[in-house]
Amino acid sequence: MSETREPVIGIDLGTSNSAVAAVVDGQPRVIPNRAGLLLTPSIVAVSRNGKRLVGGIAKRQAITNAENTVHAAKRLIGRRWGSREVEDAREVLPYELAPGPDGHDVRVRMGGRLYPVQEISALVLAELKADAEAFLGEPVKKAVITVPAYFNDGQRQATKDAGVIAGLEVLRIVNEPTSAALAYGFGRQLEKKVVVFDLGGGTLDVSILDIGKDVYDVVGVGGDTYLGGEDFDRRLVDFVAGAFAAEHGGIDPRKDKMALQRLKDACEKAKCDLSELPAAALSLPFLVAGPEGKALHLERQLTREELERLTKDLVDRCIEVTDKTLRDAGVRRAEVAEVLLVGGMTRMPRVQAAVRTYFGREPSRGVHPEEVVALGAAIQAQALVHPEQLAAEPLLLDVTPQHLGIMVAGGYFRTVIPRNTTVPTSQTHVFTTVQENQTAVRIAVLQGASERAVENELLGEFVLSGIRAAPRGAVEIDVTFDITADGILGVAAHDRETGQRQSINVTATSGLSHDELEAIVKQRDAPLPAAPVQEEEP
Amino acid sequence: MTLGGAIDKLPGPPEVSGGRAPVNATPLPPLPLEEADLREEVDLPLDLRREILALEARLPETMWEVLGLPWNASATQARAAYLDRIRQFHPDRYGGRRLGSFKGRLDRIVQRLTEARDLLTDERRREAYARETAAPEELARLEARRLDEALRSEERRARLARSASLVGTATRAGELVRRGRAALEEGRHGEAANDFLTAASLDPRNAEVRQLARQAREKQAAQQGRANAEEAEKLEKLGQLGAARERWSEAARLCPAELRYQVECARLARRHGDLEEARRRAETAAQLAPADARAQEALGLALAAEGRALEAKRALRRALRADGSLEEAREQLRRLRWRFFG
Repeated sequence: MSETREPVIGIDLGTSNSAVAAVVDGQPRVIPNRAGLLLTPSIVAVSRNGKRLVGGIAKRQAITNAENTVHAAKRLIGRRWGSREVEDAREVLPYELAPGPDGHDVRVRMGGRLYPVQEISALVLAELKADAEAFLGEPVKKAVITVPAYFNDGQRQATKDAGVIAGLEVLRIVNEPTSAALAYGFGRQLEKKVVVFDLGGGTLDVSILDIGKDVYDVVGVGGDTYLGGEDFDRRLVDFVAGAFAAEHGGIDPRKDKMALQRLKDACEKAKCDLSELPAAALSLPFLVAGPEGKALHLERQLTREELERLTKDLVDRCIEVTDKTLRDAGVRRAEVAEVLLVGGMTRMPRVQAAVRTYFGREPSRGVHPEEVVALGAAIQAQALVHPEQLAAEPLLLDVTPQHLGIMVAGGYFRTVIPRNTTVPTSQTHVFTTVQENQTAVRIAVLQGASERAVENELLGEFVLSGIRAAPRGAVEIDVTFDITADGILGVAAHDRETGQRQSINVTATSGLSHDELEAIVKQRDAPLPAAPVQEEEP
Repeated sequence: MTLGGAIDKLPGPPEVSGGRAPVNATPLPPLPLEEADLREEVDLPLDLRREILALEARLPETMWEVLGLPWNASATQARAAYLDRIRQFHPDRYGGRRLGSFKGRLDRIVQRLTEARDLLTDERRREAYARETAAPEELARLEARRLDEALRSEERRARLARSASLVGTATRAGELVRRGRAALEEGRHGEAANDFLTAASLDPRNAEVRQLARQAREKQAAQQGRANAEEAEKLEKLGQLGAARERWSEAARLCPAELRYQVECARLARRHGDLEEARRRAETAAQLAPADARAQEALGLALAAEGRALEAKRALRRALRADGSLEEAREQLRRLRWRFFG
């Protein structure tokens, strides 16, 4: 049975950094990239001589080539053009965004060409895949990829598409906090409730799991897709740039793309340093040109106190989100036996202190916050393909992250499957006609938290026709939502009277049409992506 | 090799993942399940396929049965049973295998198991469901227990009553009445009222006892009212008008028909500027005894204080007609007249 040795990998596709892991000899381990590092920056660039760069080399040239260097693509993946998130991102990102051909999805300009966001992420995934292949000495085709628990179906589908473009069969999209809990609990025989507090580069995820008998039962998820390390960085950048402008007669380094990139890098580094030290130095010589063409330098100290003052509201927000998640899941703080910190931002002492105060217990430090998610993904990948090769066979029971429902009369949203429902699940609601002699109903399947249908994500729609003509309200239509263990949503409508039946498998649109996806995959199979390490620019 | 080959060995021993098991080695007992379902080519051991089909057939049964639990098993048991079953039947456990129709079966089983878990680990829903799903004999047992308890509490009450009485209810009632009368004669009205009321509750059809109880009550109230009034007068002499007013109010509450208490209440309320209270008290007094000079005087003074001059004058004139020696009434009337003319 040759396929029993077929390697599978787990990928943590992060906002700032990504990691890949695999189970080797029954134990999960993070695979170093070809530069020997465990974390690969989620950055893609096209250099001025037209070469595509991924990871560390892309990051190193970001300062001199900010317009053609794409970072934080995770914030855009699966998002719709014109949405609040994309509009906000456009303001702060140095690279250019444009709408796709249908006007709904987001494209990124890099090296004079527009890329779908999926393709950008695919470049990172392909790089990680190549690293894994180099390490394992075998081709890798199957992977589990993690996403924030709060990602909607569109974002998940787009991430899956990115995997396909990178040449990977995506076995499962797993929630990052769940994955972290899996890595933490692996081989430990836990019997308790665990909260995972995952503050990464771009998102905050809070998940509550009830673990027992190697079953990882998610009982609640919550979070904020727009709260993460980059927001902390931006506070520092604004603070430092503001002070600099005040000192130098209104010269704002944020107006110069290269200066902004240098400032961002320096602030991110200072933020990390401040987790260990009470003060950190910012030293940016020749940052911008002064009034008479004289170069201006930025030299200053940042203290941990300043950082904490500037980001106090962000930390408070984290705790608010945590509290809401617990309340939504009906779990009391006292029931929580373990708090797991995941994500680079949880290294910040103030964040740890806030979590400690809220739960009244010391958070667990047994895991490496930036590697644990990839490790869990590798375990899940292995469990889905070759469970017999694992010391313990874990089982993940995940939940729906958002309400799923349909649009009803008046443009309202009616929930059929509420959030925090364990999948697989099936729910049926009865609906009726709203007009006299109505013979067809349009079923619009939506996901989201708003009462107004238009404010939620449209996942798909279909029409149930052939309804018998009757006074309004006299026809009863069963609408059944069905989610399988691998997260595929099926929706069926059924007229009780006539037996008419219509159904669809709802795959959220990731923004890429099927044809487009195929075209990209074909293109990939022609020689392409990751540039070899030695081609780094001087 | 793949596990799909298992189908060749359907009548063979149940272990499947092994190599070449002898075909037709031992005949199986007759299958209670759909033979056709078992013959589907999937990568699952025969035993497991049997269990899946058996559990699927039981899905319409109660949540307890779906989890393999006895009726009314605890929430903790439900969770433990859920974990065991979900580990066995979750399709993720068989990832990468050919599952065919068993995929859908496993999905349905997991859904139902999860439903059962959600319901039975929620204590309130679990209890309601236990009542709902109780078997007839369980319901009968529950009902019997309830009746049993009702019976027992009745007995307890009866025992209590028996031990309280020496020679039975009637004797005890008679005793109480005798004791009550004695107390009444000695002026201990409160104790008398108590005894009569207890006797009345033992012998509810005895009208005489009820009458006695009412009398004793009234006497007790009058006594307490008098005590309060005496106290109030004392306090007023000491200048403690607030305390005195409270005493008068208490006396009036105990004996609402006592004219004097109402008049005194009205007077003190007026002095405290509580004009509405003063008028209400005076009106009550005037209603109790329309011809009483004191009552009319109080009413007149109260109305005057409220500025209702015409009505005040009428009341004051009535007061003076009944008793010409009322100085305060005369004085007030004069003042009203002057103002009226001036």
